[in-house]
Amino acid sequence: MKNQSMRINKILVCCGPGCLSNDSLDIYEALKNKIESDKPYISIETTVKATGCHGFCEIGPLIKFLPLDFFYCNVKVSDVEEIYQKTIKNGEIIERLLYHDQNSNQKIKSPEEAGFYKGQKKIALRNVGEIDPLSIDDYMKRGGYKALKKALLKSTTEQIISEVEESGLRGRGGAGFPTGFKWRQCAQMQNFPKYIICNGDEGDPGAFMDRSILEGDPHSIIEGMVIGAYAVDSHSGFMYIRDEYFLAIKNMTKALEQARNYGYLGQDILGSGYDFDIQIVRGGGAFVCGESTALMASIEGRVGEPRAKYIRSVEKGLWDKPTVLNNVETWANIPVIINEGASRFKSIGTAQSPGTKVFSLVGKVKNTGLIEVPMGMTLRQIIYDIGGGIALNKKFKAVQTGGPSGGCIPEQLLDLKVDFDSLDKAGSMMGSGGMIVMDETTCMVDVAKYYLAFLSEESCGKCVPCREGIRRILVILEDICNGRAQDEDLDLLIEICETVQATALCGLGKTAPNPVITTIKYFKDEYIAHIRDKRCPAGVCKELTIYSIDKDKCKSCGLCAKNCPSSAIKQEQSKIFTIDQTKCTKCGACVDICNFHAVKIGGALACR
Amino acid sequence: MQIIIDKVKCEAKLGETLLTIARRNNIHIPTLCHSDALAGQGNCRMCMVEVSEGKTKKMVASCIYPVTKSIEVITNSETLTKMRKTLVMLLSARVPHNNTILKLRQEYNLPPVTRFKSDDEEECILCGLCTRACDEMGISAISTVNRGINKKVSTPFEEPSTVCIGCGACAHVCPTGAIKIEDIGEERIIWEKSFELLRCSNCGKPFITRVGFEYIKNKINTEIETVCENCRKDAITKKLRDIYGF
Repeated sequence: MKNQSMRINKILVCCGPGCLSNDSLDIYEALKNKIESDKPYISIETTVKATGCHGFCEIGPLIKFLPLDFFYCNVKVSDVEEIYQKTIKNGEIIERLLYHDQNSNQKIKSPEEAGFYKGQKKIALRNVGEIDPLSIDDYMKRGGYKALKKALLKSTTEQIISEVEESGLRGRGGAGFPTGFKWRQCAQMQNFPKYIICNGDEGDPGAFMDRSILEGDPHSIIEGMVIGAYAVDSHSGFMYIRDEYFLAIKNMTKALEQARNYGYLGQDILGSGYDFDIQIVRGGGAFVCGESTALMASIEGRVGEPRAKYIRSVEKGLWDKPTVLNNVETWANIPVIINEGASRFKSIGTAQSPGTKVFSLVGKVKNTGLIEVPMGMTLRQIIYDIGGGIALNKKFKAVQTGGPSGGCIPEQLLDLKVDFDSLDKAGSMMGSGGMIVMDETTCMVDVAKYYLAFLSEESCGKCVPCREGIRRILVILEDICNGRAQDEDLDLLIEICETVQATALCGLGKTAPNPVITTIKYFKDEYIAHIRDKRCPAGVCKELTIYSIDKDKCKSCGLCAKNCPSSAIKQEQSKIFTIDQTKCTKCGACVDICNFHAVKIGGALACR
Repeated sequence: MQIIIDKVKCEAKLGETLLTIARRNNIHIPTLCHSDALAGQGNCRMCMVEVSEGKTKKMVASCIYPVTKSIEVITNSETLTKMRKTLVMLLSARVPHNNTILKLRQEYNLPPVTRFKSDDEEECILCGLCTRACDEMGISAISTVNRGINKKVSTPFEEPSTVCIGCGACAHVCPTGAIKIEDIGEERIIWEKSFELLRCSNCGKPFITRVGFEYIKNKINTEIETVCENCRKDAITKKLRDIYGF
């Protein structure tokens, strides 16, 4: 038994955003204290580390044990004592803390056996969840800063740029602009000083890709930025981090300090004579500040509003000087490309979109979490193999990619390969990598309304089409959901959407109508049902929905009446339950609780 | 360098905007957020034109698009007219009773917008010219506040500005007359602040605020006379007449 216990030498406690909010830091502290307090009496060689996100957020908090490579899920602080006594001291696996895969109905020990991890390929997330983000030594043990040495001491700037160009790496922030080409353009500018920026202003609802890297592996971003800066001859960099990401700011501040102390940042980096430093800028608190030109305005201390990009940032960016701006994930890819070479990187993914992409897979899917997959994987593989399919075994309806200005992709396109160009063709976009899965209980008009409401508040309001257009699109969508829209509203909706798309000033404005355009394209019948039949097929839009009890199916169990928060369900003399429409708030609790599917969802007109 | 706008060959200098070149050649492109006194902004999007460069065709805002090579430009295609119509419709919904937009709406043969609820009092289309002019004056007393549908032009905290000099540049550049400026006797009221007006030493008409006059004097660091624009022009004309003996 003792031999077995010796074999666990590292315990990784996930302290990613999801697990943190489920007390994973307390679990980490408790485990650490436990081991520390016993150390003088028994020989335990185990170290506990608080790491970045392990990815499988659905079943957090997660703890991974190395080198045996098994993991526990849904761990609570109250489990710590048992874990310590049984697993750490005696090498015993606690069955009930193992992950139970619903699909195969099996207990799973190793991450490699879990469907969620199987199809993944980690490049940008290579260290996230594996190292203590506050330890530069952890990063270096996994090959960190090797690429920097190779770049600064053994390569010319031309070699670095060619390598990145050759790798085919495209910007992971959303538009997919070739990174190497951007660097080359900037390197050719004879206008100094030049600036390097990392865009960490992740603002999409439901997205936490960049956050996970910033929090879980800050050094990979720093290393990428120093290499990029050296390649284009810049001496000053900015790390623009969303203000709400306090942990990311904290970890990055520490990482920058460490990098300076180790000579990887600051003056005379690695004795090469090259100087470069990075300063953190806290985000301006607006979604639009994630747009590159608005971000630069914000760094300059101006209002975060975009400008037209007729003159590119590589020519005139920050303070009108040549600037390379890349997203967090793009920077994190750079050290791997320099270390392992372009051809190795190119062998992953598709010809036009090499490499991998990080997604935050959320919504009505069984396995929500942070994933990284090779480009070209189909939506079906992502949702069913990695995501484990639709939660509660409901029917898939659509998947929304690309954040608020992405589009909704329907079931018939599930075999679409996920890369920059295929998603564009389907009317959606890669965006920074949000992926929200929707099931049959989702109303697509309501989804479009949600995103447009978000954008109406987050549009910077600088140009007319985005500010006035989105506002009126939202009015029409609200009317459709309330049953007040007319037939001709659909044409007006399309007309405004097309104008916003064609004439808005920045990328965010141009893509803002995407949720509406794609839902009309793929789910037009739902719009028609709302407008003509005054009926919401999914039963989401309250004004268009009436719940009633099917007398033939009702077994008079009374469960619905007990669970109705507004006491709208009453038993009549005939023992049959009925819903008082004047009291019903259409919350849907009765639908969910009924075991006999006796609560019917109907349209307003149909029931009147 | 030569570019073609609506089949007309036009001379162009490197970096000049399409709007400047078009105007010089008497080609009309509608604008709302443009003033010759200020740099282009690209906010109203009325001046969008189609630029063809080889096989690629794109829509750009002519007031800020710099010419860098020989291109062909179309200012009034069917698509452009359709887009402009939608933009005017959206602006009419915002400022239903504003005369500038009303004229534009008639020019594009559009009916009044009844589909959307509008604010009857609203006159501002948020073109951004006023804040730009104020910045250029070196004052920055007003700016746009909030974002998205709540955006508006305001003094800080909507209180009378402590730095405003009452010069009226903002009202002067406003394309829709949305900024109220009132001169009553020797008092000017703008942005809910009252200013003392100085009279022209020649014709006696009140013409500039005292703080505005002091500001300019300090800025150019020279003593200047309190003479209004008309009287100054008269004086120059008289001088020229004396010299050349018209």
